[in-house]
Amino acid sequence: MMNSEFDRRDFLKVLGWGGTAVALTGCGNGMVESGKETVVSYVETKDYMIPSVSVYFNSTCAQCDAGCSITGRIREGRVLKLEGNPESAINRGKTCGLGQAGVQNHYNPDRVRAPLLRTGNTGEAITWEKAYALIDEKLKGVSGNEVAFLTGGMSGHTKVLMGNYMDSLGSKNHFVYEAIGPAVVRAANKKSYGVEMPRFNIGKARVVLSFGADFLGAWVSPVNFSQQYAQFRKGSGGHQRGVLIQVESKMTITGANADRWLAVRPGTEGILALGIINALGAHGVSIPGDIAAAVKTYDKDRVSNDTGVSAEQIDKIAAILKERTPSLVLAGSAAEGYAHGSQNAAAINLLNHVLGNVGKTIEAAAIVPFPQMAPLTGNTAALKALNDGLAAGKYKVLFSYGSNPVFTSPAAMKYKDNMAKADFKVVFAQYLDETALQADLVLPLDSALEDWGTQVPEYMAGNAQINIRQPLMEKLHADTRGMGDILLTLIKQRRAAEYKPFDDYYGYLRAAVLQNKAALGGANQPDNDIFWNETLSKGIIKFEGAKHASLSVKSGAAGLTLPAPSAADAEYPLQLIPHVNANLRDGRNTNQPWLQESPDPLTTIVWDSWIEIHPKKAAELGIVEGDIVEVTSKSGSLKVQAYIFPGIHPDAVSIPLGRGHEAMGRYAKGYGVNPFQILDMIYDKETGELALHETRVKISRTGNRVIVVKDEGPVGGNQEGQKIVPEMLTNKVNLSKEI
Amino acid sequence: MHSFLRLSLLLLGFFVAGISYAADTPQSNPVDPGVDGSAIDKAARQKSDSGGSAFSDWITKYWAEGPDNIGPAVKQPIEFPHFRHAGDHDKGGMEINCMYCHTYARRSLVAGIPPVQKCIGCHQSIDEVRNKPRIKKLFAYWDAKKSIPWKKVHDLPDFVRFSHERHIQRFVFQLNRPVQEVCGYCHGNVKTMTVARRQKLLSMGFCVTCHEIKHPVTAPGGIPIGNQAYWYSMRKPVIDASGILKAQGPNDCSVCHK
Amino acid sequence: MSITTLFENYSEFRHRHPDGDVPHNPYKWAMAIDLDACSGCNACAVACYAENNLPVVGREKFANGQVMHWMRIERYWDHDGSEFPERGARYLPMLCQQCEAAPCETVCPVGATNHTPDGLNSQIYNRCIGSRYCSSNCPYKVRYFNWWDYPSTDNVWPAEMNMQLNPDVTVRGKGVMEKCTFCIQRIRGAESDAKTQGRLVRDDGELQTACQQACPTSAISFGNLVDPESRVHKQWMAQQVELNKHEQAKDEEPGGSDLRGYRVYEWLAPYPSIMYLERVRETEI
Repeated sequence: MMNSEFDRRDFLKVLGWGGTAVALTGCGNGMVESGKETVVSYVETKDYMIPSVSVYFNSTCAQCDAGCSITGRIREGRVLKLEGNPESAINRGKTCGLGQAGVQNHYNPDRVRAPLLRTGNTGEAITWEKAYALIDEKLKGVSGNEVAFLTGGMSGHTKVLMGNYMDSLGSKNHFVYEAIGPAVVRAANKKSYGVEMPRFNIGKARVVLSFGADFLGAWVSPVNFSQQYAQFRKGSGGHQRGVLIQVESKMTITGANADRWLAVRPGTEGILALGIINALGAHGVSIPGDIAAAVKTYDKDRVSNDTGVSAEQIDKIAAILKERTPSLVLAGSAAEGYAHGSQNAAAINLLNHVLGNVGKTIEAAAIVPFPQMAPLTGNTAALKALNDGLAAGKYKVLFSYGSNPVFTSPAAMKYKDNMAKADFKVVFAQYLDETALQADLVLPLDSALEDWGTQVPEYMAGNAQINIRQPLMEKLHADTRGMGDILLTLIKQRRAAEYKPFDDYYGYLRAAVLQNKAALGGANQPDNDIFWNETLSKGIIKFEGAKHASLSVKSGAAGLTLPAPSAADAEYPLQLIPHVNANLRDGRNTNQPWLQESPDPLTTIVWDSWIEIHPKKAAELGIVEGDIVEVTSKSGSLKVQAYIFPGIHPDAVSIPLGRGHEAMGRYAKGYGVNPFQILDMIYDKETGELALHETRVKISRTGNRVIVVKDEGPVGGNQEGQKIVPEMLTNKVNLSKEI
Repeated sequence: MHSFLRLSLLLLGFFVAGISYAADTPQSNPVDPGVDGSAIDKAARQKSDSGGSAFSDWITKYWAEGPDNIGPAVKQPIEFPHFRHAGDHDKGGMEINCMYCHTYARRSLVAGIPPVQKCIGCHQSIDEVRNKPRIKKLFAYWDAKKSIPWKKVHDLPDFVRFSHERHIQRFVFQLNRPVQEVCGYCHGNVKTMTVARRQKLLSMGFCVTCHEIKHPVTAPGGIPIGNQAYWYSMRKPVIDASGILKAQGPNDCSVCHK
Repeated sequence: MSITTLFENYSEFRHRHPDGDVPHNPYKWAMAIDLDACSGCNACAVACYAENNLPVVGREKFANGQVMHWMRIERYWDHDGSEFPERGARYLPMLCQQCEAAPCETVCPVGATNHTPDGLNSQIYNRCIGSRYCSSNCPYKVRYFNWWDYPSTDNVWPAEMNMQLNPDVTVRGKGVMEKCTFCIQRIRGAESDAKTQGRLVRDDGELQTACQQACPTSAISFGNLVDPESRVHKQWMAQQVELNKHEQAKDEEPGGSDLRGYRVYEWLAPYPSIMYLERVRETEI
């Protein structure tokens, strides 16, 4: 049928290919993708700008207050990924999951993009000129002590500028608020060691006894502590592997990694600490007279009865602490969250004195030689003071920055209502969170990845350092501003002459750094530009040989009294432990979807809240996984799904913090419940801090049940007899050949 | 009978169309283009001037007789004359090295379109052509600091990782072939064009054709060529009929598919 | 495939580690993960999301088991009947084991998953037709299928979030299978840079996978198993774990081995490229 002269072209014509063959072959090798026809080329470029080759800039992470240094990978002018900066003594090149999500904060679709002025129940976008003018106007005729500033922790030049602005207004009302900061531990440390935050040398310790200090999770500087933990497990200086003992009422991720996790009756951590000191004495460790007197009645049987930890276990702990030195004893959020939290922490800190750890694993932290830049740390007592002032109508103008108290304060405090009593409320925010929604004026902030600044971390892991923050790319949204730039504009309203030389915050920073060039490592660099660029490029200013705060060796046992374990409350039988997890913390980063989808390390639950109940208690109450239970405290109630969890004391239940947003963005709103709301207003007697663990609740089934959305399968962490994650005991394993 | 014939013709047609798409006519004996440039390039040059019916255009576009094919003529904001810049002296060109402008080719995945600064770098001193219409357009972009919206001529799908660096490093710096020839393997004889026009099919088969050519692994004397004694290939180097140890180019999927 | 192959002895097929044709020369990428250092913090998983354009599927799809985490942290309890988990939990970072004799490679109807000369299991997205046979065969269940059109219909990267996408990694559409690639884009990039400089990739931190780079406890080692200077090589040697054995000599010792290195599901003979170091617990407490 086929003629040999039959050309392919004619053949196809005969077939009547009509479009069929075109569909098969027409996808176009080498055709230009539609919509992408224009090549983005440059007008002028720098030499280092090579398309498809990444450029790296150093900056400082702002997802929490630890102050880890980051290196951003930038392609064609956009930051894509954050890595740790190996040069920082704090994070040594590592990042946590929260740090990784910094890019999601920067590119978040729910960021506020323009200044918003309240008109009724909506916000009208206005210009920055109008916003500044409005602030100026509202401050007229208002005296300095009627103006209040609520911020989170602050340090560096922004803190200085903020202080100067307040000064120009004649206001001394700066309330530094942290919802979950270790404020009680800071105060206890000050009493026990002479400094609020000494340096903890976990890597050097042979035993770490942690009373609820979640140092691998969300406590103080987790990336640094994780690095040290790895060293600790390997054993340093020829020593064997370190031993971790965790004592708490609800298992944290640090507890999950412990060699021995001890469930302790909520609130009795201090009693256990004194019991261990008593046992140490019984084991032959010499105890100073005043401490021995204080612990005389805390024999192991009494302590075992009070705390629920067996006498045998107390003996074992004392034995291993005596044998393996130096050790390190940490008091964490679990210990401090009670009305007697300060006493708990003081008792725990005593152990370090008895064991001789002060000066060995508890060291003096280095201090940055610029005290004005030193960090302001926050606490909940500050919020209480502000709240009381607002309730009394003391403040006419309120500035809010870096905090979300409408979300993180107990509903019983009525902060939202009290905030409304101020005439003019300005909130500096990246998102329209719960507090921003109560503002009269919302001023949109730059993200940390597009802003300038300096940061001094509270926890100084190595030598003193000042962290530099520089933009990793051009501003994403034209109408956001850096906090430094906003403060500079505001202060120019009052001190124009003094601040005239600075066009912007960048100029102010540069001038400030150059002014102190010699002290900041530039003594041998005569060229200012080179020094400035080198400083920015390194991202960290290090101070070798900086002064160290000195530690006191006074033990402070005097006056230490611990209350007896709290009696059972028939109406509210369970202790509520609101849990701080590493990613969500106090809820400031909940609108970052990677964090919402990152399974909780203990329960593997995502995108929702849950209440952890011990299997014994759950059986008693007839609760199974997924039951919606109503959790009621004296101050409020909420409904949440139940999760049966063995790592919690049967008299306690736990709900994670950070979810339950009613605003803030599409990834945060409507997911989970907010246990902050139902907390009782009970305070630590010594510091006035909100006692986060003192709330007692009752739970009851509602009759509804849901399927819990979690990563673990229905087998729920059971290896089913397979060798998936075996373990080796120290008396069997040979670690000597490991590298 | 007729309906049966028609049906079988139709089915046969489906088969042939399908196979032609899948097979993409690889050559049985891949030929190293060599130093002088091949007949393929000549044919490409001829084809670039072809007119013809839409159908014949379609055929030349998609139905390969050889490994080269023609893309559509792409209209650029400024009709840049490659022949003036890269062309031979005796044709009025300046023989500028391709990589003077497309400077990233030796160190990046992409060759790069030069920034406007590159053009101005020379043209700010060339008074003779300063008032030509296209030069005036160029300076208009420069004065406004606006980037010239060049249109893409060569594109590969997003799932392909093509590295210009690897190819330039191999052919120009290791094998010491002339730059114009190396660029020409895929981009054709650009020095005869004004604006670039796609000369080759740029399909996977086009790339694989070259990657299947067996190259000597070592130079005479056993010295690895270009200091590299390893080849990304699923098949080990073998000694062929000529007695030389030869291997192919990378043919592991993950080298090009990201 | 012919009649004769039907009579071949298939019990031998893929029981031996395949060697010969595919060289591990000069690279064989492998990992060692120290479970005593791993704290279960999930930083590696989030870093993987950032590096590899992983879609966040949202709550409903997560409930359907359609999550896309290439690296996941599995948490196990001791289940020894005690009232509390006094030995803590056991964390296992589970990711594609890049098996030498991967059960997924043999069953792909279109050959979208193959073995590379440098020892990885490659996944070619545009060839995948979505039969999901490979994930069915995977004993570790580390293959993830794009059940939905995440980039367009689900719009998981709205507005500015799409600017964060890594251009070195394909954004997968609906109907293709994906899995951990040992950050092959970084591997190829480092191999290319090294090749331009006329050398091999060094084990000095120039090439790190995203998970390894993020891990706060440095629990993950990644590198070239056939490079005697690399940390990974030294770890595998010290633990006496050989890549191409499915039963290790050290486990035959009476009383078992006192070394920590093991591989998950080693007895199924997929010859995985990831060695785990067992977690340790103190006996004196």
